[in-house]
Amino acid sequence: MNPPLITALVLISFVLGDSVLTAADPPSSAVTILFELHCMECHRDESPKGNVSLEPLLHGQRDVALWQNVLAKIETGEMPPKPKPGLTVEERQIASDWLFTLVSAEKQMQRNIEGRVVLRRLNRVEYENTLRDLLGVSVRVRELLPQDASSAGFDNVGEALHSSSFLLARYLEAGEAALEQAIANGTQPRVKREHVTLEAAYQVKQNSENVFRKGDGGRITMFSSSPWQAATMFWIEQRGRYRFRLSVQADQSNGRPVVFSTHIGGGGGGPQPELVGYFDAPADAPKVIEFESFMEPRMSMTIRPYGLAPSSEIAKAGPQAWAGPGLAVDWIEMEGPLNDVWPPESHHRIFGGLKQIAVKLPSGNEMLEVQSNDAVTDTKRIIEGFARNAFRRPISEDELAPFIAMVEKRRAAGSSFEQAVRAGLVAVMTSPQFLFLRETPGRLDDFAIASRLSYFFWSSTPDEDLLTLAEKGQLHDQATLHAQVDRLLQSPKSAAFTEHFTGQWLRLREIDFTEPSMQLYPEFDDMLKVSMLREVRLFFDELLLKDLPLTNFLASDFSMLNGRLAKHYGIAGVDGWTFQRVKLPPDSHRGGVLTMAAILKITANGTNTSPVIRGAYVLDRIMGMPPKPPPPDAGSIEPDTRGSTTIRQQLARHRQIESCGSCHIKIDPLGFSLENFDVIGGWREYYRSTGNGKPVEIDGKKMRWLQGPAIDAGDVMADGRKIGNVDELKQILLDDSDVFGRALTIRLLTYGTGGQVEAVDQREVTAILNQAKARKWGFRSLLHEIVTSPLFLEK
Amino acid sequence: MNSLHMTRRRFLRSAGVLMALPALESWQTRAFADGKTRPPRRMVCICTPLGMHPPDFFPEGKGRYEQPSSYLEALGELRQDCTVISGLAHPGVGSSHDSQDSFLTAALHPENRAGFRNSVSLDQFAAEKIGDRTRFPSLALAAEGSSLSWTRSGAMVPADSFPAPVFARLFLQGKPDEVHKQARRLEDGLSILDTIREQAQGLGKTLSVRDREKIDEYFSSIRELEQRMAVSREWSKQPKPHVDVPPIENNMNPADLIGKTRLMLDLIHLALQTDSTRLITLLLLGTSQVPPIAGVSLGHHDLSHHGQDPHKISQLRKVELEKMKALGEFLTKLKSTREHDSTLLDNSMILFGSNLGNASNHSTKNLPILLAGGGFNHGQHLAFNPDNPPPLSNLFVTMLQRLGIETDQFGTSTGTLNGMEA
Repeated sequence: MNPPLITALVLISFVLGDSVLTAADPPSSAVTILFELHCMECHRDESPKGNVSLEPLLHGQRDVALWQNVLAKIETGEMPPKPKPGLTVEERQIASDWLFTLVSAEKQMQRNIEGRVVLRRLNRVEYENTLRDLLGVSVRVRELLPQDASSAGFDNVGEALHSSSFLLARYLEAGEAALEQAIANGTQPRVKREHVTLEAAYQVKQNSENVFRKGDGGRITMFSSSPWQAATMFWIEQRGRYRFRLSVQADQSNGRPVVFSTHIGGGGGGPQPELVGYFDAPADAPKVIEFESFMEPRMSMTIRPYGLAPSSEIAKAGPQAWAGPGLAVDWIEMEGPLNDVWPPESHHRIFGGLKQIAVKLPSGNEMLEVQSNDAVTDTKRIIEGFARNAFRRPISEDELAPFIAMVEKRRAAGSSFEQAVRAGLVAVMTSPQFLFLRETPGRLDDFAIASRLSYFFWSSTPDEDLLTLAEKGQLHDQATLHAQVDRLLQSPKSAAFTEHFTGQWLRLREIDFTEPSMQLYPEFDDMLKVSMLREVRLFFDELLLKDLPLTNFLASDFSMLNGRLAKHYGIAGVDGWTFQRVKLPPDSHRGGVLTMAAILKITANGTNTSPVIRGAYVLDRIMGMPPKPPPPDAGSIEPDTRGSTTIRQQLARHRQIESCGSCHIKIDPLGFSLENFDVIGGWREYYRSTGNGKPVEIDGKKMRWLQGPAIDAGDVMADGRKIGNVDELKQILLDDSDVFGRALTIRLLTYGTGGQVEAVDQREVTAILNQAKARKWGFRSLLHEIVTSPLFLEK
Repeated sequence: MNSLHMTRRRFLRSAGVLMALPALESWQTRAFADGKTRPPRRMVCICTPLGMHPPDFFPEGKGRYEQPSSYLEALGELRQDCTVISGLAHPGVGSSHDSQDSFLTAALHPENRAGFRNSVSLDQFAAEKIGDRTRFPSLALAAEGSSLSWTRSGAMVPADSFPAPVFARLFLQGKPDEVHKQARRLEDGLSILDTIREQAQGLGKTLSVRDREKIDEYFSSIRELEQRMAVSREWSKQPKPHVDVPPIENNMNPADLIGKTRLMLDLIHLALQTDSTRLITLLLLGTSQVPPIAGVSLGHHDLSHHGQDPHKISQLRKVELEKMKALGEFLTKLKSTREHDSTLLDNSMILFGSNLGNASNHSTKNLPILLAGGGFNHGQHLAFNPDNPPPLSNLFVTMLQRLGIETDQFGTSTGTLNGMEA
């Protein structure tokens, strides 16, 4: 260790060590006066509000945590709390300048050595996507790995990503499984092509209830949506990708499309049928629908019309006389396994043109294995080629040598060439260089930036373009960075960003946590659930790709709807599955994420809503001010769906208790303004009840629930402002859109870098916000500002 | 010590692995003729994540049951082999479904999510001490995604969610090609670990402090896995135990929480009986889907949020009674399996409980806890004051000691649990 470095380290431990320094410079008189005036009334040593005393601060005591806390409260405007007079712009500047200098001196010292972001391990989604892109084949290994923990709201944050021997064992397994899917050890499977009519489905063949109408040229019409009358056909023998095509048309549907879903699955011991997707069958002419799916042996494909009559009614009338809508299917085609070349591209990518020969297994069976006439050269070429991409940066001979040596050792111990090379590739996939995103403190090098960009927008490894730019040293350039953001977002791989960012920021991943009660919400179905999620993601993409102002997240005059959601929202003129941008009627109460059904479902359980949960969601997810967790013995409200007490009556009692009231006065009013939305996001004027209330009929059908007490969505906020309903909530949020801008920016930075944003970073966040504001709050512009911020470009 | 042991020991040293050597022979294969070797003690921890309806779970009155609760009724005479404990809680574990993560670890404040870091679970703590005595140090099972078992570093031990592959791992010898592949996989694995261990070592030197902690954790994971794999290499030379039942097949109905539970319990019985492992955790299903149980039309999760609706409570009871019946069948099997002059139940502690005291409002107080078997003096209701309870970890310490592990501390414990006597 050289002398200057030692000096630096001594200095650092001097500054950071708790015991060494106990005092900092006392504040200037301007600062002292300001704190006395605005803060000290509540925050003195004896019984300070929120248990935070500011006396140590004014006495010049060193307390980094306190400095940070106060700085954040001042920067975000949370303190002084309304209705107390806030700080003037000038005062805020003085206070925050002083604190910022204190904190940043400490932090900067630490940052220089440590950086902000802790070494990140690839999480399981990133691991799978990375292998997919490296190997050039879609691999399914995610399920082999344990769930990742999260920190600061995201499961790609370094702090939370731990290792264990169990995880490592799974990495060995997953690496092998991925190679199994990339490498071919047999001859090309014979491609099977089938062209059939719906007659091929056993439900049609048996026709147990007589619900299918047979027409001309093999056309068969399905009239029932009963699950047991869905049409299941084909029997897969060889695993691989399959293409399905079907010709469909809506029948007797008054010119409207008929929606249907397709599923794959079944087979003994296989997974449950899995939704491929929903489709529209148009009314005017037959349409050919095409999709591809990865199929395992013994799987089948199922077609199920949506929203048609139950089979018993059709059977009663007879399918010829039945006048209701139906799904006409002319023919169905299946083709697969699809392989353009053999061995497949992924195999070629690893082994190049090496020949395969048959080898005998202990059982006497044979399989194909790659052979080499020059094992040493081929090993080096294969391992080097793979590791270069896998490590996401140039590698030295020294770094490569142990992997090559290992392969040689396996071969010497009796493994075949292919088996030894496979072990070497798994070693690369389990190595620290692959599993961890390595960054060095200070300004990142271009290769680290390439990885930050690709894991931000693709949850995957940088592609050739990014690595080339890094090699040329061009990834620091602002225009290049902006262009790369646009390019990455154009790629289909950016679906990972939409899915995983919204999945965690807006908690969409929790959509299945509760199942709406069938008694209270019989209108809930799978298509509605799938549509809910899609609305949020499409809306997010729309803002992103069109660079629309991010205030649209708070309130918008449009949303992305299909027929099912439009019906759910009471908006006319949209039919079928296909989503479109829909201008919302002024009285719809919709627009912005908080009125989207998915968010309203996630913030409720299957039977009732809680203003506490929803209010906390708004504070945390939208305003970036998560309420403190309740005191340990607080317990929570015992829900009551019998219609005797409303949530308002229960909460009123709650708010009278002082230890509860101080937080709940902030939480509850926000939540109450969403009370007009039921647990699946439908609009309501009354609660639905299972105990007391008036009977209800809808479309001539008596409901199994009763009309309970009327909804009262009004409340008064902590600062005395009234919120009457959701429209007023949106206005209040819009009035303070900087608050939302900051909250979203912090979430994006956390997700985008895999590291927490701390109080000391608020300045840089403010700089980003000012730039984004100058660019009219455009959502993509915000991302541009983020990737050129020091918060993104430094560790 | 015979020469085989010497060679193994020498081999393991040369592999850089230092550990207590496993007693490779399962205790069953040893003779009891001398009357000195006792059957080993085991521990099974089962968590049902949606609570148990308290009025049906807890009996009225303390001490020996006079009026067993309706759920205890479902266990029949076996309730005399169980102790029901009320009032217990994990201090510092707040109201939330996230409390599941702390059920066997007692780690503080899982409900805060941000900043939560788990700690070692009861079974993994025990596995560090006695895990090397069986083919599998421990077994983590879950009827769905998550797991009850956690490592010392706070990482989740991935649980098996389907019984068939576990059955194969425990009992099936495998076809020649698979056996061959498995052996190669083990050797490959050890070589790979050897290579990446050196990489990690090299890398660690260049990193800053916080980053180095991450690499250190990764490095020790490699070391631990190397040790485990070296042990399994030794075990792989021993034939797997034979069980006289058809292989367990998976239940593919995600709504069938009772069916899935039964299969897992059957598997646990076999694993204990053959001494394949002595430490098992099982996380039961908390599904939102409607289970195939007569008279039940709502999902389990929905029912657990009953909001005092009597219809929902009556359906919830049906689901939970089925669970108790499945538990009863399991305990019956353990009791009818003889081990020397005792039964398998006498030698196995079965903890059955929940991380939620009242699932309707996510309360984590007054947890429903039942301990069966293990040679304790049972047939009683141990009632503690829910407003000032001893930590649940005290029961864990009692259980650890019963396993023969010398410890007086686990999680948030303050001692052993009063009233649990052997």
